[in-house]
Amino acid sequence: MSENAQDTIEGFLTCALDIGERMLISGGEVNRVEDTITRVCKAAGAQRVDVYTITSSIVVTMGMPDGQVITQTRRISRQKLDMNALDRLNDLSRYICQTKPSVAEVRSMLKQIEVLPQYSFGTQVVMYALVSGSCAMFFGGNGWDGLASALIGVLLKFVQTFLNKTCPSDFFTIILCSIFGGVMAHLFLRLGLGENPAMINLGNIMLLIPGIKLTNAIRDMIRGDTITGVLCFAEAVIVSMAIAWGFAVITF
Amino acid sequence: MERILIQLITAFTSSLGFAYIFNVKGKRIFYDGIGGFLAWGVQLLAAAFLTNEALCYLLGSAALTAYAEGMARWQKCPTTLFIVAGSIPLIPGGALYRTMSYGISRDWQAFFNQGLETLLLAVAISAGILIVMVLDQIWHNARALSRKRKAQA
Repeated sequence: MSENAQDTIEGFLTCALDIGERMLISGGEVNRVEDTITRVCKAAGAQRVDVYTITSSIVVTMGMPDGQVITQTRRISRQKLDMNALDRLNDLSRYICQTKPSVAEVRSMLKQIEVLPQYSFGTQVVMYALVSGSCAMFFGGNGWDGLASALIGVLLKFVQTFLNKTCPSDFFTIILCSIFGGVMAHLFLRLGLGENPAMINLGNIMLLIPGIKLTNAIRDMIRGDTITGVLCFAEAVIVSMAIAWGFAVITF
Repeated sequence: MERILIQLITAFTSSLGFAYIFNVKGKRIFYDGIGGFLAWGVQLLAAAFLTNEALCYLLGSAALTAYAEGMARWQKCPTTLFIVAGSIPLIPGGALYRTMSYGISRDWQAFFNQGLETLLLAVAISAGILIVMVLDQIWHNARALSRKRKAQA
C-alpha cells in the first residue's frame, strides 16, 4: 500500500458510494445497490462491509484488515430511471471486481457514465404520444380516444419539461400536470375529438402514475427490505392520490 | 377477438415507448416491447382458463421474469432492464387511479374494494417476479455446488 493509503481507501469508498448512488437514481433495486457496493469494497481489500440502503440514503461502513474502520453516508434526493446508465454501472462494478483499477481510473469511468447521451427531446415527445395513445386503447378506448390521448401526451411532455425546470416541488409538478391533463381531455371532448374521457385520461395517467413504484415497493417488502418498501408504498399512494385529484378537478 | 388483438399490439407499443422513456438503448428497446407483449399474452391466456385474476397476473409477471432472466444472461446486463418496461401492461396503474378517484369522490365502499383489488394485483405481480428470481437463484447455486463437488472429486 502507498503512503497515502488512507486517502486511497477513503477515496475508494467515495467512488463505491458514487456508483451506488447513481445506480439507485437510475432505478437499481435496493438489494442490487447493496450487493454492488459490498462487492466493490471487498475488491478494494475490505474485510468487512456493512451497507444499509433505503431509497433516500446509503450508509456504508468498511472495515480494513489493519483495523481501520471508515464510514460514509450519502443522501439520495430524487430518482430518474435510466436503464442505460444502470447497465453501464453494472459493467463498471464488474470491471472493478475483476481488474481492481485505481481510484482515478474509476472516477474517469464514472464521469463517462454521467455524460451518456439521453434521447432527444423530439424522440421523447413522440414516445409520450405513443405511450398515451397505446394505453388509452389498451384500457378499451377507441382510435379517436387514442389519438386525443396521444396529442395530450405531447402537450404534457412540454408542460412537464417546463415544470421540471421551474417548479421546486416534484409533488406540485405532478399535480399541475394532472390538472392540465384533465382540463385538456375535457377541451378535446368539447372540440369533438374522442368519446370516452376516462379512456383519454387513463392514457395520460399511465405516464404519471407511480405504478412501477407501487409494484417495486411490494417486491421490496416481500424480499425483506421493509423500510424501503413502506417508504415507496407511502410515496406511491400519496402521489397517485394527487394525480386522481388533479385529473378530477375539472369535474368539480 | 379484436379486443385481444388491440390489447396485444398496444401492450407491445406501450412497453416499447416506456423503454425509450427509461433510456433503454439499441435492440433492447425491441426486446422490451416483446416482453410487454409476452407478459400480457400469458395473462390473457391464463385468463381463458382461470377465473382468479390475481393468479393470471402472477403467471404473466412470472413469464416476463423468466424471459428477462434469459435476456439478461444473453445480453449481459441487469434483469431490471427487461422487467421495468416489460411489466407496463401488467402494472395496475389504471386500478390505482380508479381507487384514488373513488377516494376523491368519497365513495368509501368502492374505494376499499378497488383498493384491495389494486393491492392484490400489485402483490401478485411482485410475487410472480420474485418466485422466478428465487427459483433462478436456486438453480444457479445448485449448479455451482455440483460443479464444486465434481472439482473436488
